[in-house]
Amino acid sequence: MLGELFKGLGTTLRYIFKPPVTVQYPEVKRPVRERFRGRHELKRFADGTERCIGCSLCAAACPADAILVVPAENDPDNPVSHGERYAAVYEINMLRCIFCGYCEDACPTNAIVLEHQYELSFYDRRASIYTKEMLLVPPDRGHGDPPPILRELQRRPSPPAQIDL
Amino acid sequence: MADVTITVDGVTLKVPAGTNVVDAARMAQIAIPVFCYHPRMKPVGMCRMCLVQIGTPKLDPATRQPLLDDAGKPVIAMLPKLQTGCTTPVSEGMVINTQSPEVKFAQRGVLEFLLTSHPLDCPVCDKGGECPLQNLTMAWGPATSRFDYTDKVHFEKPVPLGDLILLDRERCILCSRCVRFQDELADDPVLGFDHRGRNWMIISRSDPPFDSKFSGNTTDICPVGALTSSDFRFRARVWELRPVPAVCTFCPVGCNMTLDMRHERLMRVMPRENAAVNDIWLCDKGRYGHRFFEHESRLTTPLIRRGEHLVEASWEEALGLVAEQLEAVRRARGGAAIAGLAAPRLSNEDLYLFQKLFREHLESNNLDHLPGAPGEPAHDDLGALLGVGRDANLMDLGAGDVALVLGADPEEEAPLYVLRLRSAVQQGAHLIVANLRPTKLERSATLAARYLPGGELAFLHGLLRELLATGGGRVTVKSNGFDELKRVLNDTTAEQIAERSGVAVETIGAAARAIGEARRLVIIYGAEARSAGPALVEALGALLALSGKAGQSHSGLIALLPGGNSRGALDMGVRPDARPGYAPLARPGLGARDLWPAMRDGRVRAVWIAGLDPAASLPAARAALAEAELVVVQDLFLTATARLAHVVLPAASVAEREGTYTTAERRVQRSRQARGPVGHSRPDWQIFAEVGRALSARAGEAPARGTASSDAWNYLSAAEVAAEIAERVPGYAGVTYSALAATGKPGAWGRQANEAIFYDGTNYENTEGVGIKLPAPIETGAVSVNLVPRPIPAPADDRPLLLLSQPLAYGGDPLLRGSKLEQHIPAPYVALNVTDADRRNIHFGDLVRLDSAAGSLTLPARVVADVPPGVVLVPSDLPGVELAAVQTGPRTRVHLVKLVV
Repeated sequence: MLGELFKGLGTTLRYIFKPPVTVQYPEVKRPVRERFRGRHELKRFADGTERCIGCSLCAAACPADAILVVPAENDPDNPVSHGERYAAVYEINMLRCIFCGYCEDACPTNAIVLEHQYELSFYDRRASIYTKEMLLVPPDRGHGDPPPILRELQRRPSPPAQIDL
Repeated sequence: MADVTITVDGVTLKVPAGTNVVDAARMAQIAIPVFCYHPRMKPVGMCRMCLVQIGTPKLDPATRQPLLDDAGKPVIAMLPKLQTGCTTPVSEGMVINTQSPEVKFAQRGVLEFLLTSHPLDCPVCDKGGECPLQNLTMAWGPATSRFDYTDKVHFEKPVPLGDLILLDRERCILCSRCVRFQDELADDPVLGFDHRGRNWMIISRSDPPFDSKFSGNTTDICPVGALTSSDFRFRARVWELRPVPAVCTFCPVGCNMTLDMRHERLMRVMPRENAAVNDIWLCDKGRYGHRFFEHESRLTTPLIRRGEHLVEASWEEALGLVAEQLEAVRRARGGAAIAGLAAPRLSNEDLYLFQKLFREHLESNNLDHLPGAPGEPAHDDLGALLGVGRDANLMDLGAGDVALVLGADPEEEAPLYVLRLRSAVQQGAHLIVANLRPTKLERSATLAARYLPGGELAFLHGLLRELLATGGGRVTVKSNGFDELKRVLNDTTAEQIAERSGVAVETIGAAARAIGEARRLVIIYGAEARSAGPALVEALGALLALSGKAGQSHSGLIALLPGGNSRGALDMGVRPDARPGYAPLARPGLGARDLWPAMRDGRVRAVWIAGLDPAASLPAARAALAEAELVVVQDLFLTATARLAHVVLPAASVAEREGTYTTAERRVQRSRQARGPVGHSRPDWQIFAEVGRALSARAGEAPARGTASSDAWNYLSAAEVAAEIAERVPGYAGVTYSALAATGKPGAWGRQANEAIFYDGTNYENTEGVGIKLPAPIETGAVSVNLVPRPIPAPADDRPLLLLSQPLAYGGDPLLRGSKLEQHIPAPYVALNVTDADRRNIHFGDLVRLDSAAGSLTLPARVVADVPPGVVLVPSDLPGVELAAVQTGPRTRVHLVKLVV
């Protein structure tokens, strides 16, 4: 019996001098994996315009029906995104979201990305709805160039639809 | 036509001769992909998507008999090249192969080519999700393309074709469906092609651009997202929409439509297929005009007048006040001191309960469904009594049938009838258009007659006279006055009639011959005919009787009345002189036109106006309402009338409640609730029922009065009211909500398995009911036709010009508010002929004053060619035009004076 007691203490003594496997959360945070799926971010292009074109394909792909997109037409003089369309409203209900990443897969412009932030807690249900302002990255954190189809370059002028009679 | 036997992919079947290969394959449940072909239009074979392998039996040159092989089967000679299925009619023994490697290779090639110049911006395209190009590419196309994606031709976009339709030239695959729709079906040939090669493109050739009342249909049939509507642009993705079946209440056609809702908001309006009513089409007014129920000016709470102001109140307060005051007026002065007006756009349930409330509780027959303008013609009974019967169907009209359109402009009064009548002509029907002035439909007519102003009755007498002379008195229904009619007609000669009507003897003869020989006869008459007076409509009834078609189920009269449910209002007895089902009253009450003077005299002290706005256009109504003891107004908006009210009740719009509506041809159709009511608004029938309940509770305190039992007002739903209508209103037996939801025999209606290829994104299948066609009383022998010819009284007024009010589709309908059609409402004008204008030195845009016995009205002039001399036209109901100030009746004699500014 005494032998077992010393065996157990021996194990304890051995681990005292090993580095701990736990971390002091929240003071210390463990890094997540590169492909970890956390809170969404709406990305921008390097020129600062929004990548999201309001196509709702993320909402269509979402198995939990957590995404709401209300599209609108870009003002050509003051565009929000490249092309004709942008998302006027973009909301994700984080209580509904199951972080499956289907929205990321569906996005044709890589606008919605599940990033590494995982600290999501709310005091009420309403606060669980993340709006576009909360999801968008700051304008200076854009990356990449818009694809040719979204660029207005190389467009041939389209003659007016009405001919002179 | 005889059937021919064909073999499609090994399936042998019989199809009618003349069917094209695509349709024939469809009958064998085999889908051949198409882009340019549409079953409602002639095939052109432009897109090459329907390429199939076709073979025909080899014939022995000597005997002209099919050669047989060793097994005794006919030898099939396959055509050396693939053929377009849509332009190839089937022939006896034809073998069609839709699955061979050559066909698949061609289909993949066509799609690959189409996609080389297609931008593939499906994520931002409004057609995405219901796009035939997407679907056919998935089913038949190649997965990859050999063309460089970055090498595509890009155009600036979008290009507005009009203010309603936008064109995206990159997406267009040049199938010409839109061009052909405008040319063949709508008869507004405003679209065309321009340029060539890669720059070949659709253009609009009209001014204003894309000037057509059916332009929205081109966005439906466009197989790609090239034509999209500015109304639905980037509002939602199509798979997010919740389609709610509804019925359009803008005009008497009663088109079936679908309200596409996203959450509680209306995103777009689409047609819902109903072959008997609107086929798969919808006019622009129905499609783009339904924005009113989301307008911010909707009433949300009841309002009660406190001194100068209308203040918000609760429903209990408002309804209690209405019941109390109505009861007080009834006790003090009797039911004759109370009047009610209900709009002809309300549902049958509303209208039925409204008249029940007035007749049973308030003991008043002062009911009407029009605002009481002097220009309103008399109520139209014959359109129902001699109406088209149970089997009537405008779609079935074809060879041997005659449609007579008299004194009507269907494009403005009932736009969809233009499409229906044109397709009837294409199926071989005779279309006789007789009018005072040229209308668009006249271009489609097989026989057009233009009578003189005041010559319409003579024209009809000419037809009757010819019918008597040739066919001779085949009146097969109960009638009176046949001898008198014969005597009057025999007293005239064809030449006299031709002179009086202004229509040549030969034209009258040809029209009468066609009518006499017709298999079915449908007579459509509109505002212009009705303005001539009831005598003209009776003459139309006599024409129907003398042609021998009266009482036949598929023949009869169709009256184009204002509003979406005027026929329902007449059926439900919202009129001073008859109970529901056209049962005349011994002591009729006051109609709307007599109401305003009676209110000025103090004979009528209280009035309840539901959905009408007489104060906006009638000075007499404004004065009368200001003096009334109690004015209750029930409406969607705070109208001019509502501002004069003591109690304003907010009503729920057509999208916020259930209801049934009766079309011009007396088909009852059910519209469903798409969203919750705005604010505290309630459906009209519920408001009437609650006041009825309050009144019967009061009557319970003082019993022994009236016929209503107190429990009769406990309706829980509109369906219960409809059930009572089915029980009590003659002709409506069996019209219950469950019966209205039927779509006919299984298989006889609805889509075939592969039909989506043709209808992708164009309209909705009808799964919620095609409505019930009511029988006409003449069918059951319940009425007798009055043949006694009555003259149209000539006005004792020597002013030289005849003023007619012209109903416009985009007139001043207050329900167009908030929609893109508001910009299409014209500025007020008076249209007159060039000769009349020259004589008075009037130029386009000059201000002119119309003087009549009633008063005067100043308007800018439009000098046009399509108004006959001696007639001036003023659009009715335009905001800011008080036509009532000058009108003495439906037809007014006027002077025209040019004002020098």
